[in-house]
Amino acid sequence: MNAFSLRAPSRRALRAWGLALAVASVILPALPLGPLFAQPPLPLAVLWAAYGWAAEDESGWRAPLALTLLGLLHDQLAGGPYGLFVLVYLSAYLIGRIAAVAMSAPNLVSLWGGFIVTALLSILIVVGVERLIVPIAVVPYAEAALITAILFPLVRPLYMTSTNSPSGGRR
Amino acid sequence: MARRRSVLRRTGGGRRIPAGVLLAIVLVIGALALIVARVGLTPGTDVAMQAGDDSAAAAGRVATGPARAGQNFFQRIGGMWNASERVQELERENRELQQWRQLAERLAERNARYEELLRMPADAFGESADIENSIAAQLVLDSGGPFTRTLVANAGADHGVRIGFIAVNENGLIGRVVSVGRRSSRVLMLDDYNSRIPVLGEASRVRAVLAGQATRPPELVTHPYQMQAPRMDFIVGAQALREGERVITSGDGGLFPRGIPVGIARRQNDGSWRVALAAAQQPIDFVRLIPFIAVPAPEADAVPGEGPPLTASSSVSSITRQTMAPPPTAPSTAPAAATPPRPRPAQQQQQPRPQQQPAATTPPAQETPPPATPAAEPQE
Repeated sequence: MNAFSLRAPSRRALRAWGLALAVASVILPALPLGPLFAQPPLPLAVLWAAYGWAAEDESGWRAPLALTLLGLLHDQLAGGPYGLFVLVYLSAYLIGRIAAVAMSAPNLVSLWGGFIVTALLSILIVVGVERLIVPIAVVPYAEAALITAILFPLVRPLYMTSTNSPSGGRR
Repeated sequence: MARRRSVLRRTGGGRRIPAGVLLAIVLVIGALALIVARVGLTPGTDVAMQAGDDSAAAAGRVATGPARAGQNFFQRIGGMWNASERVQELERENRELQQWRQLAERLAERNARYEELLRMPADAFGESADIENSIAAQLVLDSGGPFTRTLVANAGADHGVRIGFIAVNENGLIGRVVSVGRRSSRVLMLDDYNSRIPVLGEASRVRAVLAGQATRPPELVTHPYQMQAPRMDFIVGAQALREGERVITSGDGGLFPRGIPVGIARRQNDGSWRVALAAAQQPIDFVRLIPFIAVPAPEADAVPGEGPPLTASSSVSSITRQTMAPPPTAPSTAPAAATPPRPRPAQQQQQPRPQQQPAATTPPAQETPPPATPAAEPQE
């Protein structure tokens, strides 16, 4: 057996790493580690998770529940308001579900485009909350969301495969 | 399998809404309701946030411990490389600072005498701020999020911290305590989107409102823990404001004491003004939480026998001929009838003043040339 042969990580392992990255993106900005760990420039990895889990047809209760818990934790650590990150992440999940159904033959480019649309719509949601409900800073969130969208192809394997069938079939 | 877990059949379509989507929709509605329900809550009345801050602060202390230890270790190692150069530099700075100290002491003494002559109320650092009872705390959490700019310090109600305490570090104002848990407190920083504080140009006396922007200019990223540069709004007499002028709190509104250093005024290319915050010169690690009791509003009716309201927070003073110092040759035993003493407010009499000597007997010190002006201006 060749000791140097590398086996491709399993889908399960990649998903675990994706979840760890999402949790880290929630916790690290709260620690006083300097501006490099603030959001922005740190991406909102939970948006990747929401989009990826939606596209992978995570139709069980685990994905929305995990996103809700991560959102509440993010709200607490970021100083509120409570429910805002929950709203953003779950909205991204629902938008991701719609995008997954809409795409018949996804490839990397179309998945990336779908995520960019998801990020832009999440910015619109934040703008709506800012205008209608509670005063919050929109520009830093928009910057973080755009950075998240730009970096999506680099982390896409942690959350989804490019050969997935978007309409809920086996991916 | 996931489709087997679907719970709802769409009417007429034959397709089912997956359970995850249905749950997500319900949770989105719940999140919206949560945001709306908490609109009226301020951080100070948000019990859930305070309890969460206590837990998060405890976790933050544990999580940042190794990072702080490692940072100190590497700083110490790095400082050993240029230790001799730094010692020489510090000795040179020390010599310059000693000259500045002598000058400052001389000017402070003269200023105190002038204020005594003019019967000016005290206008020192953070008037009405209880410096002696301040509480030192360590920063354990930084919001780091895109929506708010807050810090969590590891001192709370058990340590005596209350809502409204002023947060400063060795360089200047950081913000204000808006939420207090048992062992933690949350500080709203000056660059937060919701932060608005009245400020004053120290030399020009231009008044303005310092508005947090929560934007992140790229040039600030290189400096650790750099706070944003808030914008100055509603400037009265902006043409008098000068580039590089020190900006201090004006005390208007009663939330901040007057005279706390905020930063340096910087004019932008578009003509607007921003403030380079003094507190952001160095990494924010320790903060000092200072009690502040706002100056009470003046009484509706004058209190009989108390004279002019010299204890008010403004620097307005009534200047009459009686307050002028007599010439130095005047006899110290002048009859009281010749210069009847004006009634002094009780509070002002209790205020300790440096070098408090009778103006009638002690003439102002002779003008002495200041020491040789150091080559470099003191760092702001």
